[in-house]
Amino acid sequence: MVESKQQWKAWLYLSPAIVLLLIFTVWPIINTVRMAFLNGYSGLAAVGGESFSFGIDNFKKVIEYKRFITCLKNTCVLCFVTVPLSTILALLVSVALNSIKPFQKVLQTIFFLPYVTNSIAIGMVFAAMFNIVGSAFGTPNQIIVTAGIVNNVIEFFGGTAVNWINSGSTHLANMTVMIIYIVWNALPFKILILLGGMQSINKQYYDAARVDGSTRRRIFARITVPLLSPMIAYVVITGFIGGFKEYTSIVGIFGADMGPAGAKGSMNTMVGFIYDALSSNSQGRASAAALILFGIILIATLINLWVSKKRVHY
Amino acid sequence: MADRVLMKEKNMEDVTAKSRVGVVVVKILTYVFLIIMAVIVLFPFYWMINSSLKTLEEYRWSVPSFWPQTVMFKNYLEAFTTASLGRLFVNTMIVGVVSTILSLIITVLSAFAFARLEFKGKNILFAGLLATMMIPGELFTITNYGTVTTFGWINTYTVLIVPFLVSVFYIYLLRQNFLQIPNELYLAAKVDGTSDLKYLWTVMIPLSLPTLISITILKMMGAWNSYIWPRLVANDEAHRLITNGLRNAFTATTGDVNYPVQMAAVALVSFPLFLVYIFLRKYIMKGVSRSGIKG
Amino acid sequence: MKKFIAILLAAALMLSLAACGGNTSTSTEAPAPSTTKAAEEPGTEAPVPENPGTKSTYDGSEVTIVFYHTMGSNLNDVLVDYIAKFNELYPNIHVEAKSVGSYDDVRDQISTEINVGSQPNIAYCYPDHVAMYNLAGAVQTLDEFINSTSEVKRADGSTEILGLTEEQKADFIAGYYNEGKQFGDGLMYTMPFSKSTEVLYYNKTFFEANGLTVPTTWDEMKTLCQKIKEIDPNSIPLGYDSEGNWFITMCEQYGSPYTSATGDHYLFNNETNRNFVKEFREWYQAGYLTTQSLYGAYTSGLFTSTDATKSYMSIGSSAGATYQRPQKVDGAYPFEVGIASIPQIDPANPKVISQGPSVCIFKKSNEQEVLASWLFVKYLTTSVDFQAEFSVASGYVPVLKSVAQNEQYAKFVGSADGGDYVSALSAKVCLEQESAYYTSPAFNGSSTARSQVQSLMAKCLSDNASDVDAMIAAAFEEAIDECEYQTGF
Repeated sequence: MVESKQQWKAWLYLSPAIVLLLIFTVWPIINTVRMAFLNGYSGLAAVGGESFSFGIDNFKKVIEYKRFITCLKNTCVLCFVTVPLSTILALLVSVALNSIKPFQKVLQTIFFLPYVTNSIAIGMVFAAMFNIVGSAFGTPNQIIVTAGIVNNVIEFFGGTAVNWINSGSTHLANMTVMIIYIVWNALPFKILILLGGMQSINKQYYDAARVDGSTRRRIFARITVPLLSPMIAYVVITGFIGGFKEYTSIVGIFGADMGPAGAKGSMNTMVGFIYDALSSNSQGRASAAALILFGIILIATLINLWVSKKRVHY
Repeated sequence: MADRVLMKEKNMEDVTAKSRVGVVVVKILTYVFLIIMAVIVLFPFYWMINSSLKTLEEYRWSVPSFWPQTVMFKNYLEAFTTASLGRLFVNTMIVGVVSTILSLIITVLSAFAFARLEFKGKNILFAGLLATMMIPGELFTITNYGTVTTFGWINTYTVLIVPFLVSVFYIYLLRQNFLQIPNELYLAAKVDGTSDLKYLWTVMIPLSLPTLISITILKMMGAWNSYIWPRLVANDEAHRLITNGLRNAFTATTGDVNYPVQMAAVALVSFPLFLVYIFLRKYIMKGVSRSGIKG
Repeated sequence: MKKFIAILLAAALMLSLAACGGNTSTSTEAPAPSTTKAAEEPGTEAPVPENPGTKSTYDGSEVTIVFYHTMGSNLNDVLVDYIAKFNELYPNIHVEAKSVGSYDDVRDQISTEINVGSQPNIAYCYPDHVAMYNLAGAVQTLDEFINSTSEVKRADGSTEILGLTEEQKADFIAGYYNEGKQFGDGLMYTMPFSKSTEVLYYNKTFFEANGLTVPTTWDEMKTLCQKIKEIDPNSIPLGYDSEGNWFITMCEQYGSPYTSATGDHYLFNNETNRNFVKEFREWYQAGYLTTQSLYGAYTSGLFTSTDATKSYMSIGSSAGATYQRPQKVDGAYPFEVGIASIPQIDPANPKVISQGPSVCIFKKSNEQEVLASWLFVKYLTTSVDFQAEFSVASGYVPVLKSVAQNEQYAKFVGSADGGDYVSALSAKVCLEQESAYYTSPAFNGSSTARSQVQSLMAKCLSDNASDVDAMIAAAFEEAIDECEYQTGF
């Protein structure tokens, strides 16, 4: 009796969400799958009256792409490095913020500021920080106008300047910049969530621990992290989902060419590939790539959920 | 015996003295760490202000200057006058507030169902919801555009609000939070004959206030930053949102963006958001203290 | 946990199955109704009963036409003035002009809108946009309008012919006008709206002080760069804004193939092209020149710099003249800017690129809307006053020859100097080279080709490989591969 009532109520509560999702999410997904299985589908050509046969050519075409592996590799590297890194940093900042009294409010506000900073501004900063302005690097006629703020700092400490993002820069240097940029971008959101979670942990747990004479590290490992684990799981899982869809941040640094000058596409990602296909109006290819990406994200999320099921305490 | 006690006391003193030093060191390190991170995080914000005060020529210099040579407060005036900021503000506020409220209601109800109620297909449904997050949204645009055109929603507030009311991200976030609240409280409430909604309102919501406020901020930010969809579906004077208005207003000649003025406009627009945050931060604190009492 | 995974997988499977099911039914039906909508409706629903085609004309009926553009507020003001003037002649044609953002924004917005048939009536366009819209057959060809002799009644009682008179046709600068016919089928799809090109900016003060002459050929350019390097070893004599323009212009100047609108599209991998790229690579490595992407900042910033490192020449858009002017120091410009045509391979047969927006008209079921759109486009592109005023406001050049005689414009050009009126100087240079404009073929993929050669140029110039020929050959092949892949469907 009670159970059937719960059933009825649950669906009632879920109905607004489900209706909207059916219209604005599920239907487009179905449409995506349809386009993926129509060989060479192009929306505009379809309007123009062209018809397309059913098949898996789109998938073949995606996998045949010479740079498909590059896209996949970039996506994975960025994802697997930035998500753990940004989560740990955000956790440290949140713990530190939560442990201090004076200036807590001020600092908290500062960590929120990136939210109201426009993304164009953030892109510009990075250009200014890592960009070497100059010409003919590596030739006897090399001219450097400015080596950028980061290189200035490196040189100040006696290091040698690195070509981060300009023509002739290495893939490793490019990746390093992207990782720093993405971690930086991801921090405020994670801090907001983790700090929010941390502040809702009952203070009595800490008081009890302190009475027991537990060390800081012990408190962190035994109380903070377990009680925060649902929030951490959330941040990690959504971080991975977002990380696999990395695209705009790369445009922010390298522009629509997705690579340093002269190495177009070397930093391209899966979503970048999808954009390229969309901009030449090949929705079939874009949809196929999206489904492949979907498969990858699904596997990663399953692993994440499996880990969190073991580790997260509710 | 007495000796032993004395020994022990001496030891204790040692430990406390050591730990006192330790505490101070940790405090200092904490502050140093936070300040370094704060500087890093603040840098783009400073750069936004810096760029917004430059002339277009100075903005195009090879070596960027850290402080504008000629400080152009005029950019702010220009930003305010060229884009009809007032109208844009009002539109964005309407869309932001309405969609935040509706979205919160939907999110709370859904998260409650997933966290507290037992029903057939719950896990499948939840997994399905998570799965929808995994497809890049860009692919949805064309289909959704067709849908809203069929509904006749083009150039209305509806089209800016309704399609994005449900966020699986938020439902998931709130469900995580709800799960932390002991189930016993709910069962006790059931025995007392408290209705679900009353229980939600008096127990669950106060306990997850920080999360709800995070969602509110994110959702408002969304209204502030959304660009591609609004431009596509509601690009008339009456409904245009702030980002669209800003992007279109500051082209110097055909197609060339006047970045300094645009930055000035962005800074102007960010200011209210910043205020909203400072205002809401108090409520985050309140939520914290309340959850402390309940526990 | 196992159960949970199973459930998730099942959900994903269900999702894809459901979708496949949907697919079989929709795939056969979907294209059919849209075809009728886009292609047949104009004929069947046209309100004019007698023989549609060249005979039909605007009948004065009430229509609203939508115009997408990218103008900033100052240009929009000019447009609004002329819409008002247009409405004195045609009060029943209501023009809604919308600034949509950048050129790419216009393209993305319209290609989405075409899917449901809600595209505007008129839009700013570049040739490759039109090639894309043409996948859907959405763009109206203009030949039947241009050649029409039907009369249209205006509100003031006078009449005009729907088409263009011979004088009007002849007044267009040929290079601009022919851009509308670059689509491989010889039909006219676009009308030129306002144009720009590339010009050579040089530091006149420096040139005069050192007795240097402005180069007219690339050979002269090379010698000049050598000289400048001797005078100021710390300089990069020439900055080139856009590698893409550079490559395409060189193809055109050499008369070697770049792309074709029909058949095999990508023809740029040939010996002539590889050779000029190799030659310019040597220039770059010798420190004679740089480009915007290789330099890592605006080349105009390098040109106007007052620091130790600067350039003395800069090739960039004629519409960006004000960026090439240095900032005043103590109320005076540090140097005077000179402007000339870019260097050529054969000065007797000069080639300079034609850029800037054209406008295209979209098919609509209401024929009167299309006719009204044409009248408006015709009004803007053939009105000397509008072209003059718009050009003065934008820094772009007018598309009509006779604008040069327009009083306002003549006064503007007459004021040309290398300081305050540098835009006028740029316009003056553009007017003098009106016979040299070329446009490259437009097809779905022409923008891919452009971005590929741009990247190719940057790579070949800067790559320090030991086997240069092999590096260049590989880069060309890769660019061709990419082009063919991106537009393979």
